[in-house]
Amino acid sequence: MDTPEKHCKIWAVGGGKGGTGKSFITSSTGTCLALKGSKTILLDADLGGANLHSFFGLNKPRYSLADFFEKKIPLQDIMVQSGVANLGLITGSIGSLDSESINFAQKQKLFRHIRALDADHILIDLGAGTHINTLDTFLLADRMIVVTVPEITALENMYQFIKSVYFRKMKFIFKTYDLNTTIQDTWKNRASHNIRSLKDLITHLRESSEYIRDIFDREISGFVVHIVLNQVRTTRDILVGENLKSACMNFLGLKVVYAGYCRQDEAVHENINNKEPFLIFNRISPVVKEIKTLTDNIITGTHLSVRKDLVNGSLSQIL
Amino acid sequence: MEAYLKYYDLFELPPEATIEEIYKVYAYLKALYTGDAMETTALNTDFSEDLLQDYLSRLDDAYEQLKLLLETKKPALTKKTDVMDEGLSDWIKSIACFSGSALKTVRERMGVDLNDIFAVSRIQPHYLEDIENEHFSSFRAEVFLRSYLIEYTRFLSLDSQKVLADYLPRYRKSQGQA
Ligand SMILES: Nc1ncnc2c1ncn2[C@@H]1O[C@H](COP(=O)(O)OP(=O)(O)OP(=O)(O)O)[C@@H](O)[C@H]1O
Ligand SMILES: [Mg+2]
Repeated sequence: MDTPEKHCKIWAVGGGKGGTGKSFITSSTGTCLALKGSKTILLDADLGGANLHSFFGLNKPRYSLADFFEKKIPLQDIMVQSGVANLGLITGSIGSLDSESINFAQKQKLFRHIRALDADHILIDLGAGTHINTLDTFLLADRMIVVTVPEITALENMYQFIKSVYFRKMKFIFKTYDLNTTIQDTWKNRASHNIRSLKDLITHLRESSEYIRDIFDREISGFVVHIVLNQVRTTRDILVGENLKSACMNFLGLKVVYAGYCRQDEAVHENINNKEPFLIFNRISPVVKEIKTLTDNIITGTHLSVRKDLVNGSLSQIL
Repeated sequence: MEAYLKYYDLFELPPEATIEEIYKVYAYLKALYTGDAMETTALNTDFSEDLLQDYLSRLDDAYEQLKLLLETKKPALTKKTDVMDEGLSDWIKSIACFSGSALKTVRERMGVDLNDIFAVSRIQPHYLEDIENEHFSSFRAEVFLRSYLIEYTRFLSLDSQKVLADYLPRYRKSQGQA
């Protein structure tokens, strides 16, 4: 096994819907890790709208990932300092990660170079959407983080995103076992197998043979997505994360960890507009503590525990 | 006891949970899945009637089973004197000193499992084992051991005062030496 010092941890932040706060969460959890003394690099892989630099009051950096692919400029040289100690930033740009200009092999090469960077944590802001490249990058990470908000449209996109990621993972694993036709055939004949959902498909495949069940247990059962609930306004909103965990398990058959929430706070907005990194300049907003909690939970893979508060009725005092 | 763990899992509660706590979570989950919450609405077709019915019936079942375990079983289990035949009760009277191993012998002759005691007292079986093995270092303070011993003896319908008087001096001695 690799020692943790030698191996940097890659966190990928995604989620179907735009504007939920992926870039805010990436920049502030990254800052939180850096403040803890962990050497951290943020990688902005949002193609259409790379804006992670704005969260640090920086102008758009001169070099981007496109220069890594096209001019072979080392990642280390593309990186700029964020202004926060221990925290570097690498910017993406249009064309650098989209399907036309980059294939799977190149993406793997990028990941090799990312892992070779001198850092303890690399956080990738993937932007919105469920493009195949986004899903693949998400899957290559050690921690998969989805940012959503307590609104029905955002939740729909989130479920869709998690299902797409899982399906992609399943296909990928089956391919390595030379079973790619199994999934395709099963899905094509889903009507005759009475398969109506991803959960049905998983159940069907698991029950089809002991060999396949073994593959699931060995390769896919460890698959977990971490959920961060942003822009929470009420106590009921906090429970949405808890409910999503339950719903994912019971209706999608997928494991998620509710890592934490951040409330909606005007201060976030103001700090960005004043070109001040939120976590550095803000000492009063309760969001600071919430970011710390969720960062710790992601590091350790721990659930935010609201079940106890739910049981003793103390939740009403939180917000 | 093993069988009950899956019910606790369904509620995501530890086995120490009281029936009141279990009921709160049960009612909460039931309301969540039968109301039209956004968390379930957003699932669209994945929120299927089949899965819902299956889930709700597992929820009901788990609650009923735990209620039975925690409410009905309690008085039935505590009445261990029922199974005490005369020979056994005479033999218990003849015990000069209640050491850990004596307690264990009594319990085994009554056919009581540590998990039975756990089910009623909520004292983790490993602590009960530590009492029987006189593994004193497991108990940080006398008050813990004392309250555990009282529960233990009450379950077996033994004379708590006598057992405490026999047992605790050895614990104190071990603490003195430590
Ligand atoms: N907890 C919060 N409280 C208040 N405002 C917030 C909060 N989180 C994010 N915002 C605001 O929401 C806006 C969108 O946030 P952000 O850019 O992080 O979203 P995003 O998911 O990265 O969007 P995109 O999908 O376009 O990349 C920002 O202007 C930010 O000020
Ligand atoms: Mg963004």
